[in-house]
Amino acid sequence: MKQLSEILKEVAFGSLSSGEAEMVIGWQKGPFWWQSFPAFITDPGGTGSLIWDPFSVSNLSKYLLKEVPEKKIALFLKGCDALGFNQMLRDGRVDREKVLLFGIPCDGLVDPARVEAAGLSKGLLQVKKEQEELIFYYKKGQRKAPARDFYYAKCLSCRYPNPVIYDQMLGEAVPCQPVERFADVSKLETTPLEERFSYWSRHFSRCIRCFACRNVCPACSCRECIFDLAEPRWLGKANELSETQFYHITRAYHVAGRCVDCGECARICPVGIPLAELNRKFIKDINELYGEYDAGADLDKEAPLLTFKTDDPDVSSGS
Amino acid sequence: MRRIGVFICWCGTNIANTVNIEGVTEAAGKMPSVIYADNYKYMCSEIGQSMIKEAIIKEKLDRVVVAACSPRMHELTFFKTAAAAGLNPYLVEIANIREHCSWVHKDKQEATGKAIALIRTAVAKAARNKELWATQIPVECRALVIGGGIGGIQAALDIADAGFEVDLVERTPSIGGRMAQLDKTFPTLDCSACILTPKMVEVASHHNITLYTFSEVEKVDGFVGNFEATIRKKARSIDLEKCTGCGICWEKCPSRVKSEFDEALVMRKAVYVPFPQAVPNVPVIDRASCRRFTREKCGICRKACPAGAVNYDQEDEVLQKKYGAIVVATGFDILDLDDFGEFSYGKHPDVLTSLEFERLVNSSGPTGGRLLRPSDQSPPKNVVFIQCVGSRDKSRGKPYCSKICCMYSAKHAILLREKYPEAQAYVFYIDIRTAGKDFEEFHRRAVEEYGALYLKGSVGKVFPDGDKLLVKGVDSLSGHAVEIEADMVVLAAAIKAKSDAPQLARLLGISTDTHSFFTEAHPKLRPVEAHTAGIFLAGACQGPKDIPETVSQASGAAAKAIILLSKDNLLSNPCVSEVNESLCTGCLSCIKVCPYGAVAEKTIEEKIHGKALKRRVAEVNEALCQGCGSCTVSCRPGAVNLKGFTNEQIMAEVDAICL
Ligand SMILES: Cc1cc2nc3c(=O)[nH]c(=O)nc-3n(C[C@H](O)[C@H](O)[C@H](O)COP(=O)(O)OP(=O)(O)OC[C@H]3O[C@@H](n4cnc5c(N)ncnc54)[C@H](O)[C@@H]3O)c2cc1C
Ligand code: SF4
Ligand code: SF4
Ligand code: SF4
Repeated sequence: MKQLSEILKEVAFGSLSSGEAEMVIGWQKGPFWWQSFPAFITDPGGTGSLIWDPFSVSNLSKYLLKEVPEKKIALFLKGCDALGFNQMLRDGRVDREKVLLFGIPCDGLVDPARVEAAGLSKGLLQVKKEQEELIFYYKKGQRKAPARDFYYAKCLSCRYPNPVIYDQMLGEAVPCQPVERFADVSKLETTPLEERFSYWSRHFSRCIRCFACRNVCPACSCRECIFDLAEPRWLGKANELSETQFYHITRAYHVAGRCVDCGECARICPVGIPLAELNRKFIKDINELYGEYDAGADLDKEAPLLTFKTDDPDVSSGS
Repeated sequence: MRRIGVFICWCGTNIANTVNIEGVTEAAGKMPSVIYADNYKYMCSEIGQSMIKEAIIKEKLDRVVVAACSPRMHELTFFKTAAAAGLNPYLVEIANIREHCSWVHKDKQEATGKAIALIRTAVAKAARNKELWATQIPVECRALVIGGGIGGIQAALDIADAGFEVDLVERTPSIGGRMAQLDKTFPTLDCSACILTPKMVEVASHHNITLYTFSEVEKVDGFVGNFEATIRKKARSIDLEKCTGCGICWEKCPSRVKSEFDEALVMRKAVYVPFPQAVPNVPVIDRASCRRFTREKCGICRKACPAGAVNYDQEDEVLQKKYGAIVVATGFDILDLDDFGEFSYGKHPDVLTSLEFERLVNSSGPTGGRLLRPSDQSPPKNVVFIQCVGSRDKSRGKPYCSKICCMYSAKHAILLREKYPEAQAYVFYIDIRTAGKDFEEFHRRAVEEYGALYLKGSVGKVFPDGDKLLVKGVDSLSGHAVEIEADMVVLAAAIKAKSDAPQLARLLGISTDTHSFFTEAHPKLRPVEAHTAGIFLAGACQGPKDIPETVSQASGAAAKAIILLSKDNLLSNPCVSEVNESLCTGCLSCIKVCPYGAVAEKTIEEKIHGKALKRRVAEVNEALCQGCGSCTVSCRPGAVNLKGFTNEQIMAEVDAICL
């Protein structure tokens, strides 16, 4: 069977040279083993540099917001990316007619921090995946280890390893392992209020307000974010916990009902704030209040926070 | 720099007793942009208003803050004051230091502090107020009346007599409502049908009234002066034009079902008119019980009809019409007695509700007015009436008094004696409430002339005992247990709102109280208006009522509707939302949350990097927007803003209160 990375190069070349797409957005290797950057390629000749490796983690669809294509833009979507793409579609932020989607089944990606934690990063030149194993290449020799040991936590609890939307699927679908999705939230819910408050205060006090969590989020697709507005100024510039809390509460509310639980915010955060926990609390509440809803999974299902039904549980009887 | 004037009202002692007026005036004078602060005993009085006007002119004020009572009381007064002095009224801001402050606080120092904070907030907002202008919107000169009971009939007739077109929509096959079911009416004992049917006929023949029976209102859009309703005329299966009302069809029809009009005491046919004086006197086919529809057999009525009026293929008709005003007169139901097992209702045929009793004494009813026991068709001798079944009963029924039961029970006692001079009426009651013109006299007649025996107390249980009913109760005045061998027991079941009242309320955008009766805009001063402008209430849908009260309210509602319809134009509220297209991301959340359908999607074209880009944005229809603000909170980028209540203004208020 052909390697997925080879197929990827072929379809990229094909879509550009046929003229169907005017640009391909894919991943390219950076100077270090853990770097797989987004790549924007318009010349068919450039498609050879495209890769698919265990570090191709960034969701490429958000770059569509910046582009104004005349023809189509081709891009690659993993399972989690596809959910985000769908949400952007629902929010009217991308035009389905202007994209060519290649779906990539993905059983998980490697968290560089875990490689480091395992003491494997020193002198590491390259990491490759073969079947269920990772091969670590050094100047002298190589080492092997089971791939799953190095996956992101979010990948280990992935619910959609196969994209739910695509024009062409590359490779075979991978199986999905069911997990208890809200274990972390349930645990937080049962801790006393003060403890919960100090838990979040502790985390938020470390936030450097780099806004990476917002920038990476497929549900944060506003043309201009309210936190960037000068008038009215919603968020003070002062480095105060209350301002940071305000940012985080507002962020969580803005994505409530639209967060696809891709876990990108938590992954990207340079100081390791577990933002996905906050998002998942909303998801859990919405599910419990209005019935199961999986943002990004089903485009036809009505969004619970934007629909009013007379039998909604928050509608008090009689009035 | 703004030039803001602050005017603080004492409201007599209402505010001045709890708030240190001088202290507040001094503090207000020092607030940013405030160049003038004064106070007066009654700011709303002529003198108070002149104070404001003079200051606006002399001090060249460009914003005004009045610290007084709720804006619901006097906002309009002060708007007019400002306008008279040449200031755009929307530059006036009210700080409510009465309802929000002096009335809810005791401690003068704290109340003074709070009054200052409230004024600071209003000043902060006022500084950001912009001039706004109301526009004129035309009024659709037609009224919609929903419900064709006596309330709806009266309202429709009054509005029609004033020269306006009225559409009267009634759900059942005929107008008339509950009153058509009644026999005689208190307090005069005139025959219900004799006074009702002339009105029903007048409705049918009135050149300004279009009657839609067997119809329902499915949707209402729009706003005061410009409602748009969708009305479904259910398929009658009988051609209204061709039918002569001869009655052959229902004579021949082989299907029988319980008659709703006769409270299920007798059967009716699948093709039926609910009662002989029905308007229109044209039957409907109840498709749920018609054999032609349930088993695809039969077809007898079509063969029998000499006018060729039967049409099994008739379909529902859906109409859309515009109205300037709506009167809601959908009436009431009586409480289900399932929870009152002790009275053996439903278990014994001679235990009846008061409405069933009405049908039994009614000459058009199941016994031709002879009042016979359903069990054996014999005349009753002893009849026990039990009042307040489910009324004034928090645990199993309704906490309120149903208001009419004392009176109709007295009426029933009289009617019983008129039919059977030998018969004895016993009435168990908690209290007798006969406030109303000639009501007490009527009740006394039942006792003194008709010998009704009133027992203050409750009934514990009704036992079926052979062909009799054993009623065990307590006479609380004597303290004795009483046992009565009755031939019939009549339960005054509580009046309750229609079970679908909450749905109708939602459809109309009006509110209901905890018991699902529609709520009036003000319990004393606006008793016939709903909270939503242009919608008026008549009759028992707003609370238990007898006929005279229903008719007065209906005429009141009609008068309000007529006032509205007589205007060529209404002034629109300029506090509507607007979309900042450059911020709008086109997520369309606002469209989904707007309860008035005031937001729509549109496509705009922009140039980006020299390329033309089409994108979708939201657009608010100012004529439809009611200024509720729902869209503004659903909009993440803050692209949609409510004029007069912009994000910027509200943030300024929040900052002023918190910082
Ligand atoms: C047992 C009994 C005895 C009474 N005796 C007397 C008496 O002697 N004297 C007296 O003054 N009062 C009496 N009353 C009270 C009297 O019945 C009411 O005051 C009167 O019927 C109220 O009229 P209404 O038009 O408000 O409601 P209703 O008579 O209930 O009429 C409402 C109408 O609206 C229709 N409707 C409901 N929902 C819709 C909808 N969604 N769309 C379209 N149409 C709809 C209904 O089908 C009905 O025709 C008695 C009541 C009872 C229960
Ligand atoms: S990514 Fe992390 S540090 Fe940056 S704004 Fe978000 S939570 Fe704060
Ligand atoms: S909610 Fe805001 S961003 Fe979304 S369509 Fe409406 S105005 Fe535009
Ligand atoms: S304020 Fe917004 S949601 Fe409310 S009526 Fe106007 S457009 Fe609709």
